[in-house]
Amino acid sequence: MNVNHTGLHEWHVKHGAHMAPFAGYDMPLWYSSGAREEHLCVLTACGLFDTGHMSVLKITGPDSYGLLQKCFSRDLNCCTGNEKKPLSAGECTYGVFLSESDGGVIDDSIVCKVAPDVWLVVVNAGMGAVICRHLESYKNSFDVIITDLTELVGKIDIQGPLSGMVLRHILSEPDSVFEGLRYFRFKGSFDNDSSHSDGVRLLDGTPVMLSRTGYTGEFGFELFCGYRNTVKIWEALLAVGERYSIKTCGLGARDSLRTGAVLPLSHQDIGNWPFLNNPWTFALPYNTEKTGFTKEFIGRKALENASYNMFTCPFTGYDVRKVADGIVIDNAGDVIGTVLTCVTDTGIGRVGDTVYSITSPDKPEGFVPKGLSCGFLKISRMLPAGEMLMLKDGRREIQVSVVEDIRPARSARYPIEQMIT
Amino acid sequence: MKDIDELNIPENKRYSDDHEWAGYTGDTIRVGISDYAQDQLGDIVFVELPQVGERFEKAQQFGVVESVKSVSDMLIPLSGEITRINTELEINPALVNESPYENGWMIEVKPDSNDDMENLMDADTYIKMLKGIT
Repeated sequence: MNVNHTGLHEWHVKHGAHMAPFAGYDMPLWYSSGAREEHLCVLTACGLFDTGHMSVLKITGPDSYGLLQKCFSRDLNCCTGNEKKPLSAGECTYGVFLSESDGGVIDDSIVCKVAPDVWLVVVNAGMGAVICRHLESYKNSFDVIITDLTELVGKIDIQGPLSGMVLRHILSEPDSVFEGLRYFRFKGSFDNDSSHSDGVRLLDGTPVMLSRTGYTGEFGFELFCGYRNTVKIWEALLAVGERYSIKTCGLGARDSLRTGAVLPLSHQDIGNWPFLNNPWTFALPYNTEKTGFTKEFIGRKALENASYNMFTCPFTGYDVRKVADGIVIDNAGDVIGTVLTCVTDTGIGRVGDTVYSITSPDKPEGFVPKGLSCGFLKISRMLPAGEMLMLKDGRREIQVSVVEDIRPARSARYPIEQMIT
Repeated sequence: MKDIDELNIPENKRYSDDHEWAGYTGDTIRVGISDYAQDQLGDIVFVELPQVGERFEKAQQFGVVESVKSVSDMLIPLSGEITRINTELEINPALVNESPYENGWMIEVKPDSNDDMENLMDADTYIKMLKGIT
């Protein structure tokens, strides 16, 4: 079986990373600090993630918008902000690609509008070819070209409150880059030939695309670059980041951070069941009253006709202990569902009835987070926040509570002006 | 992760194929998990230990060690009765990562016989076994 490597693979192995297979790639799970320190570092300082295993597609041509409107769950004509404005150039949005037959998720994605006829579609590791084929199958007579750029593009996620402070030391014009770089906006291009490549250049002239996005729930960026530039950019960030306590972080910390941020893992928390009754249906093109959809899209009929009566909800436990492949038991003792994700967010803890994060501004004096299990459940009825359940696997039973949110005081949306001093 | 040559595999301990170690402490035998095991598991966040007085047959599950990424059963390398448990691990499970043979010890066992110790691997044999796995 062919195992893929990102451009940083050799670096990871040389630096003692604990490696493991993920989606056909040999990836770092953690480095010598360990997954717990890496998780905490992203919450309090700055962490670097190699995400070059993810896939990037480019959609160009006069009918790019038409094809994406057809296949992507978001209504690109009304999706940004509370006023639901059309997506502008330099903006991106989160959504899903659904299956026509059952309204299930093929993959989730961030779609970036570079220009009216130039779009980038970022999907998960190993999914480039699948989503390419999916889009091609609905192309019909649309005038559009779909290109899989995965092999050509590297990506580094820099996440944590100090990530802007670190980045500014490698950018040639940091003030102009950070100006107006709001949450889910992007600038620049990894392609030197693009007319947008001047938007963001490093000190040595290397063009990159920088977006205010990520998978940790914390303030930070995804940095897209030409594949061959990944190692030098990684090492440059580590060098300037040392005084900010930067750490390299693996997939272990990535998984615990994203869960605490209530973000789904494709093919685990969302998958081949109708994309309904879950915390992420904001990605569907509902009208304001939520009585219907604002556009036609692949999967719409399946969702409208689905008789789907399971509910996906977040939970938080009462100590660090997890279950593996657990079942969910309600307080009548009945099995009502299964555990989709269960990890430990080591940055949170309970004091009485309240969950605090190490970053909570109102945390009690002397608070040290011990960590709490958390994740997502798929259960047969909707339950309110506060409902207590038991999760059981072959080894143990743990008590958890249904919640609306998991890790408090997340910094992803903080205004960039506050984060660069 | 550590290369085999970087691992600490003390000569004065015996090892099971499940990566537990056993070593004499006076009359009793102390048990823990090896440097290889703690390195593979990653940051340990919780250790479940048995009660003093409980009896186990060799290879039975005596406890659970939980890291950020996984939960693993620990199998006792010899038959006997638990005489002491390391209560420090309740407050500071990271001791297992930091010091798997000293401060991170798990249980003390009064052995049923000395045969079980003889049947465990010495350091050289354990290292050979690790080279075979990795």
